[in-house]
Amino acid sequence: MKLLEYEAKRVFSGYGIPVPKGVLIREPEEVTAHLQELGDAVVLKAQVDVGGRGKAGGVLFADDAAAVRTARELFSREIKGVPVREILVEERLPIEHEYYVSIAIDRSSRQPVVLFADAGGVEIENAAREDESAVRRVVVSPLLRDIPPFLMRELLGGAPKELAPVINSLYHVFQEKDAMLAEINPLVTTPQGVYAADAKMIVDDNALARQGIAVNRDLSEREREAEKHGFSYVELDGSIGVIGNGAGLTMSTLDLIEYYSGRAANFLDVGGGADQERVMHAVRLVASMPDVAVIVVNLLGGITRCDEVAKGIIAAGVAPPVIVRMAGTNEEEGRRLLAECGYRMLESMDAAVKAAMEVAK
Amino acid sequence: MIYGGKNLGVIVQNITGRQGTFHTELMNAYAREVGGQGVVAGVAPGKAGREVHGVPVYNTVKDALAEHDATASVVFVPAGAAGDSIMEAAHAGIELAVVITEHIPVHDAMLAIAYAKLHDCTVIGPNCPGLLSPGECKLGIMPAHLATRGEVGVVSRSGTLTYEVVDELTRAGIGQSTVIGIGGDPVIGQTFVDALARFEDDPHTKAVVVIGEVGGNLEEEGVRSTDLPVVTYIAGVSAPPEKKMGHAGAIIEGGEGDARSKVRRLAALGIPVASRPSEIPGLIREVL
Repeated sequence: MKLLEYEAKRVFSGYGIPVPKGVLIREPEEVTAHLQELGDAVVLKAQVDVGGRGKAGGVLFADDAAAVRTARELFSREIKGVPVREILVEERLPIEHEYYVSIAIDRSSRQPVVLFADAGGVEIENAAREDESAVRRVVVSPLLRDIPPFLMRELLGGAPKELAPVINSLYHVFQEKDAMLAEINPLVTTPQGVYAADAKMIVDDNALARQGIAVNRDLSEREREAEKHGFSYVELDGSIGVIGNGAGLTMSTLDLIEYYSGRAANFLDVGGGADQERVMHAVRLVASMPDVAVIVVNLLGGITRCDEVAKGIIAAGVAPPVIVRMAGTNEEEGRRLLAECGYRMLESMDAAVKAAMEVAK
Repeated sequence: MIYGGKNLGVIVQNITGRQGTFHTELMNAYAREVGGQGVVAGVAPGKAGREVHGVPVYNTVKDALAEHDATASVVFVPAGAAGDSIMEAAHAGIELAVVITEHIPVHDAMLAIAYAKLHDCTVIGPNCPGLLSPGECKLGIMPAHLATRGEVGVVSRSGTLTYEVVDELTRAGIGQSTVIGIGGDPVIGQTFVDALARFEDDPHTKAVVVIGEVGGNLEEEGVRSTDLPVVTYIAGVSAPPEKKMGHAGAIIEGGEGDARSKVRRLAALGIPVASRPSEIPGLIREVL
């Protein structure tokens, strides 16, 4: 789950990483009470989960006289379609230099990877694309508690040594907070020292509970509802509902719909051991989406009981036609039950998707 | 056959759980059918002395290995404790840990895999269906009846999609040497590179089907690393960015790891890429 900037800064600050003085406001007038503490020049940053926020108009500068007016302006904006409900107002730092540091997971070496660049800020991705050597990278064994000095030297190159403790603290955040990503861009030097001017963090969805996060905000309401039943669910914008077992097979079913020039309404993986109850919930959930004209059920596996699945589909009793492809045990009984109630069961996923396309037309 | 054959002694961690019990029975049914060893012991803390389908249960991996000759473990331990169980197995001398468990926190997986490596223990998974060498050995949860013995290797990040492809191959009369699911998580013990290296050393494997999906770029890394003829399929061409498609690792992040660019890069290497699973048998025939 992605954290917003002010949340990530709270986490970083708890690990001793200096962040600018700041305050979170929900009404423009709230800023007035804090101006004395923040100084006569402030930066107002929309707290929205949007990439390229600055370029999209989500960051504004103001002196103290214009702060309320500027806050009002920012609250009235939508940043890439996302309304601004919270603004982080911060002191404006006298920046000397901007750096980039990011810690992520390197799938290839199965270890944390630390990225560092001498030039931080909004253009880092373009810079990295044009010149790979602009970003230095080191991988760190997950068996180590700290980034060892030799790797830190390699990472920093000629950059100031005072950055090292901040980067090492960020590594602690990454390890202890179950982060998939912990990033400071820009990491800035000022006459007063080093600061995390921005902060980005993604927490591993599989570790939310042990990190004390009760609700995964990245999911829509329907997606959360699906999660309660143990389904993986993603909403899309087509008219063909999809239910599969296993992430790969379900994705492959969506792709097949696209291959035949159709559009899937959703991705729903019912997981292993799809019984009557689960299948019924899955079919009802997909049928509850307003644009669904037809539902394709594609289940395969040694232990899927086709009679159970058939009973679940029949029990769901939904309006859109349901076209079924399944293979497992008790296949014949499943087919018979479905046929009795007027449902079609087909032999292959190609055939099932083609049949659904016909209905969707 | 890669990773292990008929003589492989196997333990099951969390053998008394629902999945552990069920699949112990299926693995041993398969072992009997092919004349292999199968599961010789199980582990479940606090449950020593019990039996599961005739297999004795021990409190720890160490206790199990003191009584039985086993070098592989199939791990069904729940997500919160699975990382620890992998390390327990490695520490006790297990050489191959096949981790079925889904939803293990990625930092636990990184730590356990690094620790296992220190102890020369190979980890397959997590979040994988295991492997099946038809006629030889089954470790994990793959449905054996879809497979048939032959010369094509299959390596995949997926479970059921793998069964789909195996079914297509079998129906087309193309048998498999080993079918391995390496797992759907962002961090996995054996990647495509490792599995393909094993296939390359296996005299019975003449070509390999590589089944990938959105997220990361390990399919390309794997394909580049091998001299074997390879056919690929990438799931998730229609996946939207920044959305997790069922697997923790199946996500397009920061504009990277989308299926179309994977397909483009594989095709640029001259590798046949199937646009749907039913095309795979035809493409395999062309490279064999």
